[in-house]
Amino acid sequence: MAATLFAKFVPKHGNGHHIYGWLPLTQTVRHGSKAVTRHRKPLHILKQKLLAVTKYIPPPQPFPRGAYPSESDHNQEDNGLMLLQKKDLKKIFEDYKMIAVVQNNCGNAEDMVILKHRLHKHGISVKFFPNKVTRPFLINSIYCNMAPLFIGPTVLLVSKEPKVKEMLTSLRASPQMTLLGACIDDTLLSVQGIVSYSKLPAMTVVQGELVSGLTMLTSHTASLLQRHPAHLSSLLQQYIKQQNPNNGTEASPTAEQAT
Amino acid sequence: MISLIKSAAGGLTGVCRVYGHQQVLSQCCLKTLPAGLKTFQVPPDYSDVFLPSKPKLKFLNKVPNLKKAKKEMKKLRDIQGPAKASNTFINGQYAIVALGGGYLRWGHLEMIRLTINRKMDSKTTFARWRINAPYKPITRKGLGQRMGGGKGAIDHYVTPVRCGRLIIEMGGMVELGEVEHILSEVAKKLPFPAKVMSKESHAEMLKMQAEKEQNNQNPWTFKRIAQGNMMGIRKVLSPFDLHNHGRYSGKFHFPERV
Repeated sequence: MAATLFAKFVPKHGNGHHIYGWLPLTQTVRHGSKAVTRHRKPLHILKQKLLAVTKYIPPPQPFPRGAYPSESDHNQEDNGLMLLQKKDLKKIFEDYKMIAVVQNNCGNAEDMVILKHRLHKHGISVKFFPNKVTRPFLINSIYCNMAPLFIGPTVLLVSKEPKVKEMLTSLRASPQMTLLGACIDDTLLSVQGIVSYSKLPAMTVVQGELVSGLTMLTSHTASLLQRHPAHLSSLLQQYIKQQNPNNGTEASPTAEQAT
Repeated sequence: MISLIKSAAGGLTGVCRVYGHQQVLSQCCLKTLPAGLKTFQVPPDYSDVFLPSKPKLKFLNKVPNLKKAKKEMKKLRDIQGPAKASNTFINGQYAIVALGGGYLRWGHLEMIRLTINRKMDSKTTFARWRINAPYKPITRKGLGQRMGGGKGAIDHYVTPVRCGRLIIEMGGMVELGEVEHILSEVAKKLPFPAKVMSKESHAEMLKMQAEKEQNNQNPWTFKRIAQGNMMGIRKVLSPFDLHNHGRYSGKFHFPERV
């Protein structure tokens, strides 16, 4: 393997050929493997150390890479379909009074068809929109607080009249649909809010009650005056007796005098 | 009502999607409603893709057409280091990129040609060679011969391939997923490690490498120490390490080194 060149004899004097010393020329020429080999050549320990010292050190990261969505994902252009769907959503929020968000875990189309039929009888229609479209639309509008509802498979139940009671009964019939929240007359309601809203009496009933409450006194006096005067006088006498039990003897003759 | 729908369900096979206000649902056909609504991506536009007249890979000769074949020295430096030629995309979108050095023989080239020509759709895709036909003569001595007696006779021809060189380029009105399985089958059988890349992923790889060099937190780099001959390290380094910066050694490539 190693071929060594032998020592070179150096003459000190030109004529005498006296050998005063020799220079050891031990140049061991190694004939190892070539530079390009099929196997990985064993590295010199110093080269190993160099490679270990000069390894790549990545910059420190505050959180792992997949933990938060990157900023570049937000700025994607809307394609035509998404723009169309956003327009539809805008129209829905303008036209319809009641917009309920329901989580749709329906397994088959049959259940959905039955539900749609039930709701159609009350004038409620079912709308489907992808969350990717609704969430940015809502966040940029006044309904931004509704945006957290749109996670998972959601469906919109929209209607012009807020028929909450009928909607609740139809939803109770299909157990897979879970009511998440609703926006009725530009007010956001939670599930409990919707239930209490449904328990409220109708508008006409409330108005009638209010009117009757306000005019209660006048209507009562009117009904009293319509009775016979003798009845009225006897009522008054009884009232005075009740008011002044101590002065009962005094009051009664004055009352008799009055009649 | 429900029985009607159930009978309709049994009878009907076709299903379609419905949007917007509906007519009375008593006579409707069943619509499938998927679990989540799919958002559709715009399909890729292939209007600028040009399909050549001969889309398949051409036949490469085993032996070059020479009057007098000269025996050549081993010159293993044609395997060593990164590729300077043929390492960018020209007219295709997807390619097999060599991640190591090696020699390609006629058998390899035939395997590539036959596999790709058989599996690709010539109406929508085309393939191009990015390597030459074998031109470097390799000599062999006969079996059982002793050392000496001159150089052996030419046995076969090879094409040297350096790391980073493109072997095959494919293009056409297809996406990477449609072409990947064909190219990866070929890439597995090559004598050096190879990878299927698209134009974008190739550019991404180069960009990542450059970024790594930029944001390396280690103040000590191979390049700095080798160029400055710190600690007399050039005693154990090769002259090629000066410009390869420790990323190449022989025919091997170390992608994680920076």
